[in-house]
Amino acid sequence: MEINIQGYKRVTVVTVTGRVDSVTYSEFENALQAELEQGKVNIALDFSGVEFISSAGLRVLVNARKTVKNAGGRIVIAQPSQQVTETLEIAGLEVLFEQFPDRETAIAAF
Amino acid sequence: MVKKHMKIDSHLDQIERVGRFVQEAAQDAGFDEMESYACELAVSEACENIILHGYGDDSTGEIEVSVRTEPDNITIELWDDAPPFDPANSPIKLDPSIDDPPIGGLGLVIMHRVMDEMEYNRREGRNQLRMRRSRKPPS
Repeated sequence: MEINIQGYKRVTVVTVTGRVDSVTYSEFENALQAELEQGKVNIALDFSGVEFISSAGLRVLVNARKTVKNAGGRIVIAQPSQQVTETLEIAGLEVLFEQFPDRETAIAAF
Repeated sequence: MVKKHMKIDSHLDQIERVGRFVQEAAQDAGFDEMESYACELAVSEACENIILHGYGDDSTGEIEVSVRTEPDNITIELWDDAPPFDPANSPIKLDPSIDDPPIGGLGLVIMHRVMDEMEYNRREGRNQLRMRRSRKPPS
């Protein structure tokens, strides 16, 4: 898994590629946590390169959503890969995350 | 009918191997890419539960995996020596309409939603989990 973070004026884009699973989720969790601790509570997750996401990754998403929401922010998903869409739908969590077809639209939404 | 076998140690970094093994078998059975992915996901969740909650701190355990495929059907069997745990009949609860979902048990939710049938047996001191899915007609 690789994580890239880009700060924009009103939103932080976190790009994740590879697998988000029980081996790698903590790295993803720590990266998000570091942004949240700096007060960056508007997050767009670019998931176009995520090949696999398990419940371990979904737990990070649900927890992060709760944290940003409590802080008055938002977390959205930009350009989810088919695997991300499939996993969210299977778990029944797709309704919790606003999704955008590309990262530009996601950034513009903030 | 095609039968395949593999075995992994009870380490989380071994789960990817089982996932790919099952995904390839599902594709061989005629499942499309996303249906094969769903099978990979479900078996990965099952293995994660066995390793984290079954074997726990015991890193010397093993999981045996056998996959049987027929056209449009896949049956996956997992065997382990961890203490008894029945994921096939464990209560699952997840209401997507609520704003703050409980996140425990997500793996079980995924397994149940992907698979058409799940059957658990305790045999000769071992856990046996059998999961079956048929190919869905394109929507």
